[in-house]
Amino acid sequence: MLIGALSVFIAMAAAFGTVAAVDVVKAKKYKERYRIRECGTAYLMLLPAVALAFIFIVLPIVYSLGYAFTDFHMYYPNDIKFIGLDNFKELFREIGVKGELYHAIINTAIFVVCVVPLQIGLALVLALFTNRKKKGVKIFKVCFFTPVVISLTVTSFLWVQILAPNASGLLNSFLSVFGAEPIDFLAQEKTAMLWIVLMSAWQGCGYQMLIFSSGLTNIRDDLYEAASLDGAGSWQKFLHITLPGLRSTLLYITITVFVGACRVMIQPMLMTDYKLHTVTLSYYMYQLGYGSKLVGLSSAVALMMTVVIGIITLLQRKFLKED
Amino acid sequence: MTNTSYAIGAVTKTVNKPANGKKKALTVIWYVCGALFSLLFILPVIYMLAVSTKSQLAADRARGIAMFFPDFMNLNTFFSNYSKVFTAYGIWRNALNSFMYAAVAIVCNILVNGLAGYAISKLNFPGKKFFTFIILFLIIVPVETSIIPMYMVVTELLGLQDRATVLGVILPSCISIFNIFLFIQFFQGIPGGYEEAARIDGASRLKIFFSIILPLSKPIVATVAVFCFIGVWNDYLWPMMLLTPYPNMMPIQAVLQTIQNIEGVTTGEIMASLVVTSIPIFVIYVVAQKYIVQGFGSAGLKM
Repeated sequence: MLIGALSVFIAMAAAFGTVAAVDVVKAKKYKERYRIRECGTAYLMLLPAVALAFIFIVLPIVYSLGYAFTDFHMYYPNDIKFIGLDNFKELFREIGVKGELYHAIINTAIFVVCVVPLQIGLALVLALFTNRKKKGVKIFKVCFFTPVVISLTVTSFLWVQILAPNASGLLNSFLSVFGAEPIDFLAQEKTAMLWIVLMSAWQGCGYQMLIFSSGLTNIRDDLYEAASLDGAGSWQKFLHITLPGLRSTLLYITITVFVGACRVMIQPMLMTDYKLHTVTLSYYMYQLGYGSKLVGLSSAVALMMTVVIGIITLLQRKFLKED
Repeated sequence: MTNTSYAIGAVTKTVNKPANGKKKALTVIWYVCGALFSLLFILPVIYMLAVSTKSQLAADRARGIAMFFPDFMNLNTFFSNYSKVFTAYGIWRNALNSFMYAAVAIVCNILVNGLAGYAISKLNFPGKKFFTFIILFLIIVPVETSIIPMYMVVTELLGLQDRATVLGVILPSCISIFNIFLFIQFFQGIPGGYEEAARIDGASRLKIFFSIILPLSKPIVATVAVFCFIGVWNDYLWPMMLLTPYPNMMPIQAVLQTIQNIEGVTTGEIMASLVVTSIPIFVIYVVAQKYIVQGFGSAGLKM
């Protein structure tokens, strides 16, 4: 590991050195001069940030890339072998036989496909709803934002109690009024993921609502007035003024919510433990690396996720940024 | 005086308008919808608060609307779950840990990222482009860092063990590329005149940073501090991975899981621990509202 870290460091230093050297040469050409003392202070000021970023951001990324092609095991760090694409072959085999990875991909896909439109739609509705000057708007906004304030861990545990199949569980005790038997919602193979979707959208949408709200205030009022004069209905106003005005906000929110949804992990981890019907990609990756100690295989999953998320994000950027 | 006249003015204004039946109906519908929406978001939280004050028996027996109210028959045990969580389960120790980690992380975060932002935005040195490129790259590209290699770095490469494991929890939250980016954005808006005046007086760059730049940047410093606190307080997985062998050093979020697994824990006690965990963040949101909204504004910068 130390050798890897050193070589990465040397590579980074070399890249930096060339950029710096080019700068110095350029400066000479244009007869500018760098003040030595100023450069020294600048490098000293950058040092803590660079050191921390190197250790905790750059190294994990590079290691993750490198481990993906090895059989690295957490307990035998010195017994490391380069095995080429074998990890990926193993992963595809796992998908082929419908193993855990297959379920993880399906569950993550369900989660992303449901939560992204639901959360963004809900946030947009709430933002439009609170985008008027009436008494009490602020109270409503505070209510919508409350779930954001309590952390993901707390909300997960809270919803475990809400969905609990015992007498104090909120939902089951409501249903028991109608004479229904208590249901263990999170153990239902078909619907457990949907409860996690609901809970996540419920928890997160207040945050996006605020961002939408600040986007809405940036749309000029006279546009709406002009449209009213031309006899446009409220739906037309929404379609032709509000939505285009929110374009950049929408792009930002879509990408952040999408990337966040792809990484979903805490909710299934705390709400159901490692179960086939709720395991997600990130959770599978974590379990492989931390639970089964197969760091190499886990890094291969991470690499695949990075590539897929990166491509989809790029497409979203291109699609939403046009005009 | 001004208040009353304003109020009167407002009243006359509404009275002057022709009463419009349809508009009034719409307003009523709007309020009803708002109330329903709000209930949807707030009821689970009220349920959490209510159950946290009940014994297991009362929580099991409550039906219908009573689920959202404390047990009025037994108000003398209102805080018994809380006292148990604090004394028997010792959650105050973990809360204290969380506060300490957050304090250290906030100070380091501002110093480390602020200094880097200052150097990049105000000083002239060869190789500056290298840093700006890396910062933009790391901000835009969604890298699935995978927490596992990070764990390997801390345990194997740095070899942090025993008490030093705390460093592995705190240090990663001291660096934030996005915060560097925020600082650069803000510092670029500070006119160079301030600095030149100080330089003529013979102040060093470091002194300028602490006595001029930082005081001028209070809004951004506050925003970074608030978000850093929320981040550290709400972090669950990372401290959990590192500190499992050292329960005494665990932050509060990680200990929630431990409380869930205690033999014979009641629903009320679990809820009480959840409430205790949420209170500091709630207070922060109320006190630092201004800076949090500013943070949202700067979130848009990211694109």
